[in-house]
Amino acid sequence: MTKTKNILRLETVSKIYRMDGVSVKALDNVSLAIMEGEFVSIIGPSGSGKSTLMHIVGCLDTPTSGKVLLDDQEISQMTERQLAQVRNKKIGFVFQQFNLLPRTSALDNVSLPLLYNGTTSSQIAKKAAEVLGKVGLGERLDHHPNQLSGGQQQRVAIARALITDPSIIIADEPTGNLDSKSGVEVMEIFKKLHQQGRTVILVTHDDNIANKAQRIIRLKDGKVIN
Amino acid sequence: MQLKQLIRIATKSLIVNRSRSFLTALGVIIGVAAVILLVSVGSGLKDYITGQMQDMGSNLIMVVPGDIDIEQTGASGGAASGAFSSIAASKLELRDAEEIERSLPQIKDTAAVVMAPGLASYKSETVSGQIIGTTQNYINIRSSEFETGSFFTQSEVNSGRKVTILGHTVAHELFGNQNPVGEKIKVGDYRYLVMGVMKEQGGQGSLTSDDKIFVPITTAQRQFGLDNISIIFTQVSSSDEVASAVPLIEAVMLKRHDEEDFTVIDQKEILSTVSSILDTLTIALGGIAAISLLVGGIGIMNIMLVSVTERTREIGLRKALGATPEVILTQFLIEAVFLSVGGGIIGILLGSGGALLLNNFIPMTVTAWSIILAFVVSAGVGIIFGIAPARRASLLSPIAALRYE
Ligand SMILES: Nc1ncnc2c1ncn2[C@@H]1O[C@H](COP(=O)(O)OP(=O)(O)OP(=O)(O)O)[C@@H](O)[C@H]1O
Ligand SMILES: [Mg+2]
Repeated sequence: MTKTKNILRLETVSKIYRMDGVSVKALDNVSLAIMEGEFVSIIGPSGSGKSTLMHIVGCLDTPTSGKVLLDDQEISQMTERQLAQVRNKKIGFVFQQFNLLPRTSALDNVSLPLLYNGTTSSQIAKKAAEVLGKVGLGERLDHHPNQLSGGQQQRVAIARALITDPSIIIADEPTGNLDSKSGVEVMEIFKKLHQQGRTVILVTHDDNIANKAQRIIRLKDGKVIN
Repeated sequence: MQLKQLIRIATKSLIVNRSRSFLTALGVIIGVAAVILLVSVGSGLKDYITGQMQDMGSNLIMVVPGDIDIEQTGASGGAASGAFSSIAASKLELRDAEEIERSLPQIKDTAAVVMAPGLASYKSETVSGQIIGTTQNYINIRSSEFETGSFFTQSEVNSGRKVTILGHTVAHELFGNQNPVGEKIKVGDYRYLVMGVMKEQGGQGSLTSDDKIFVPITTAQRQFGLDNISIIFTQVSSSDEVASAVPLIEAVMLKRHDEEDFTVIDQKEILSTVSSILDTLTIALGGIAAISLLVGGIGIMNIMLVSVTERTREIGLRKALGATPEVILTQFLIEAVFLSVGGGIIGILLGSGGALLLNNFIPMTVTAWSIILAFVVSAGVGIIFGIAPARRASLLSPIAALRYE
């Protein structure tokens, strides 16, 4: 694997939220590049625009201005439909609040992304069980979120992010809702994913966690400051 | 994205929220069941009445007193009561019946009828019934069967004998389980010999034989002063001859009467009038019930809209994981259609089951068209009322939905 290729490039990206006549500049001319296989953490105070940046990088949102290139593909001009397909193929998103479907088994939760790309049912079940095994939940396939601890729920969410074999894993404060022990376990998984060659972008408040990454990008008031 | 996968997603999410799904479908369940039940009542009534009329005998043409417009009789009760008052002033005669039979070879049988309410008694029992004075041919025309005995003959009519045939109810109320044939009962002031008992026919009014006391027309005219003929039944051999026979009978009657103080009606005409009234009734009943189906559809829309709001996070998540707006739209439409069609199927089962059960008490006929209509309408309701919530869901932006508390 060549570590020279940029998997992600942002060129003067700005995001302005307008509401009731007040506009908030959440991202202000952000330019950055992330290489394939890199483990990057993004750190900054609350309100500095970390989540906004992750949403744009994760193709959940488009910038007000500037260019976003994912795998050399310009995404800022894509339609909702195209963005949905890019999210499904290339992005694995892990949220702070897990965002698992309630009253739905771990297996079915992990299966979700595959429902939207035409995988056959038998393959879905097989793959879902496989990735749950990888995050150490091979015995918990039928458990519902309310039968799992926070750390286990987050591991289900990581398995869901991994199931489509995406080029980038994006995690927005994945340990924010976990106790320190579960947090360490979850971080171990991200470290392993990085060692297996995946690109990992991780948002955090916590310097200790940020230090586990190869590179730290600091945000403040919507600007990159290092 | 295959439809199969989407159907699976929709079904799963309906099952996960099964009690809400059931309550949402309840409006459609009730609406469809109501449509089927009410339509069954209407068509059951129609089948019952037309069945009763067919039991009267086939290929009948009737001459009744007065100048009645049959269409109008059908449309309003007022005209019908006019027809009854004209019986009292009837100018029909026994000779009319004889003349029709004599001059028209295609007429197989004729029977003139006089009638009046009356009492019959045997020992200490007394029942009230309808006295029918008629001729021997009556039994050929009206397809009635006998429990025991037989109808009176021409010689008994000619000589005005005091004999009687009893309807099923009359016979059983007077005699219980005893065989009435050969016994004498008192009708009016005189004793009559019972010659036979009719089989039970069911139903009510002038169409059933159950409450009738049949006597020879000559006897009736003499003993009860029943000079006014209420109706003359005539019968042709095949249904093809009915239409051509009607004007011929009219011509014979007009020759004997100076003015048109009678009306010739054929059975089919009555049947079609009655069925068109009952069809209208059925459609009206179905229409009223269909309104409840509409309300059921609005219920689906309402709960689906609430459910879209409630499931904002789920929708956002699905979109974040790669569901396109079309996929979300389709999922919610499928959910709505499944709810309404599922409700429709349950409603069809409940409605037809209920109709079959109630059939023991009132005549009910479950019709295929009401089932098909209910099914199609409930599916349509699902699509129409599912569109608004599905569109709302598909337009949610993934981040806004994920941030939603
Ligand atoms: N949908 C929105 N509408 C209006 N303003 C928004 C919206 N989303 C974010 N903002 C604003 O943009 C700025 C950046 O928000 P963002 O969520 O990216 O911060 P953050 O760095 O993730 O903070 P935290 O660490 O608390 O999660 C904030 O000032 C926030 O109020
Ligand atoms: Mg944030």
